[in-house]
Amino acid sequence: MYDAPTMEVLLGITGKDFTLIAASKAAMRGATVLKASDDKTRALNKHTLMAFSGEAGDTVQFAEYIQANAQLYSMRNEADLSPSALANFVRGELASSLRSRKPYHVNLLLGGVDPITHKSRLYWLDYLAALAPVPYAAHGYAQYYCLSILDKHHHPDISLGQGIKLLNLCTDELKRRLPIDFKGMVVKAVTKDGIIDIEFDDDKVVHAA
Amino acid sequence: MSSPFSINGGACVAMVGKDCVAIACDLRLGLQALTVSNNFPKIFQYGDNVFLGLTGLATDVNTVSDLFRWKVNMYRLREERQIAPRTFANLVSSSLYEKRFGPYFVSPVVAGLDPKTGRPFICGFDSIGCIDFAKDFIVSGTASEQLFGMCESLWEPDLDADALFETISQSLLNAVDRDALSGWGAHVYIIEKDKVTKRLLKGRQD
Amino acid sequence: MPGFDFSNYNRNAALHARGVPLPKATSTGTTIVGCIYDGGVVIAADTRATSGPIVADKNCEKLHYISSNIWCAGAGTAADTEFTTSLISSQLELHSLSTGRKPRVVTCMTLLKQHLFRYQGHIGAYLVVAGVDPTGTHLFTVHAHGSTDKLPYVTMGSGSLAAMSVFETQWKAHLTQDEAVKLCADAIESGIWNDLGSGSNVDVAIITPEKTILKRNYIKPNERTQKLKSYVFPKGTTAVLNEKIIRKQDIGNFVTIHDLAEEAPAGGDKMEVDT
Repeated sequence: MYDAPTMEVLLGITGKDFTLIAASKAAMRGATVLKASDDKTRALNKHTLMAFSGEAGDTVQFAEYIQANAQLYSMRNEADLSPSALANFVRGELASSLRSRKPYHVNLLLGGVDPITHKSRLYWLDYLAALAPVPYAAHGYAQYYCLSILDKHHHPDISLGQGIKLLNLCTDELKRRLPIDFKGMVVKAVTKDGIIDIEFDDDKVVHAA
Repeated sequence: MSSPFSINGGACVAMVGKDCVAIACDLRLGLQALTVSNNFPKIFQYGDNVFLGLTGLATDVNTVSDLFRWKVNMYRLREERQIAPRTFANLVSSSLYEKRFGPYFVSPVVAGLDPKTGRPFICGFDSIGCIDFAKDFIVSGTASEQLFGMCESLWEPDLDADALFETISQSLLNAVDRDALSGWGAHVYIIEKDKVTKRLLKGRQD
Repeated sequence: MPGFDFSNYNRNAALHARGVPLPKATSTGTTIVGCIYDGGVVIAADTRATSGPIVADKNCEKLHYISSNIWCAGAGTAADTEFTTSLISSQLELHSLSTGRKPRVVTCMTLLKQHLFRYQGHIGAYLVVAGVDPTGTHLFTVHAHGSTDKLPYVTMGSGSLAAMSVFETQWKAHLTQDEAVKLCADAIESGIWNDLGSGSNVDVAIITPEKTILKRNYIKPNERTQKLKSYVFPKGTTAVLNEKIIRKQDIGNFVTIHDLAEEAPAGGDKMEVDT
């Protein structure tokens, strides 16, 4: 019953004072790559970033709906929602969509840094709207390859540099094992100072054993 | 295998002791054979000594636990008092039966002490709200069959708080070790008249 | 009339279309019986509740209160028997309050059948309705689809065949109360032993014009014997990684009450406080 995983890659890693979010750049339709520079992430506010995968159309539609509501909240209240508040809001919206005639089919990772405590946060949400706070996460086939790597090498207080190294371990393995080219990754880091784009080497060739 | 009750996995058990009750759950959240999180507690507190364990489909565990947090908060505001375990059990029952023809895929367990008499109270439910009152123990989740076996042999009447902790812990730990979809650590709550002890158990991580 | 909420229906139907089986409800794969005698009516039930092949509850209650003079034995989906009987019980209580008359068994039976017929069998309640009212002693069966029967002795549930065989061989007209109780208890026991869906104990209710006597666990032929050995583990058997104790008395450490009377700002009125 649970839907077959997708080739779209979403990765999330938390560290001491940051949360890394990475998403594959390929926009796919069946066996065709339509675009090689897709950004499957949306910033919800200064310190919360959401990555999404799933059914084409649903993904961007849902993410931008959430983004608009998060921004509306920030404007009205002159205060940003915390990552945990946003995660529960997103879950609520996805759960009620699930009970409608045409539900959104979207898997999400929601990463950020709490603006008050400065603690890094990462939330895993599947299309059934199951929410779990996690130290690291993945969606799609990437889960099967990356969770074991992250389980072995992750530590709660790694630095951003170590986090990127860890991400490289994951993407190398994905390049080695996934049967299609996912066209590299968009990588962003959320810190207490905001969301920063991370330069990530997509051209590195990894050969299968 | 494709039942919504066994996609995410999980187990929960409650037991009666002498002037105390215990409720315990595992910590796994999975997607069939893949483990997504090993820190997904399934026990929620709704009063000084009212606890709810929820196993089944993870999204419904989230939804139902949030729903009861809201309902219990509204109850407390209206009544200006805490909800009693038996009242809460009836709230759970009627809330689930309201969705008789489109149920939440959860198997709840309630444990607590009666605020007036201090008497232990536990009960379980099916997904449409039929209450199973028990004097001994209640089990739920993908390891429920294993838990039935463990509890039926290990449980005995009038266990004190320490003995009850060992009994419920060993029942859960050994049951989930025979269930591929449950385990990865456990939480155990021992509820006594004037204190609640929450323990994190060391469990197998395979 | 319950307001059922179908908000999960779409989601579950979509899930079901993808091959998801429907959830297992606790069912009372049951033996329930009823028998009229000279001077009243007796109903009885076993106490096993099952979920598939698993015994979910070894001593559940299948005799449901409708009013002081009407009781109901339920088989089928346990939640449905529980909620349907309590719903009709409430309606009957209100009806009796507004008419100022004692509730009648036919009224109860009619309310039940109309409710169940409306739901076309989807509410899986199979009931034996018995009672004494100003019009006499009555015994009915009500099926989930809304059909009813009126007979001097009735059986329902998965153990109904085993129980009926007892009635068919031993029933006679003009039974005494003791004979009727014995006959009903024997019929239930026949279900307990010969039907896998039934088990544990016998519950009996005797309804007479004067009063109702509920004999919970009238016969206990399956009592658990004392275990020969205790399996209590020595303290410290289980490895604990973390422990947190919340004491009621310590809650005061987090919520403290300060008297601010002397610090009240000049000019401001003192807040009125209930004493």
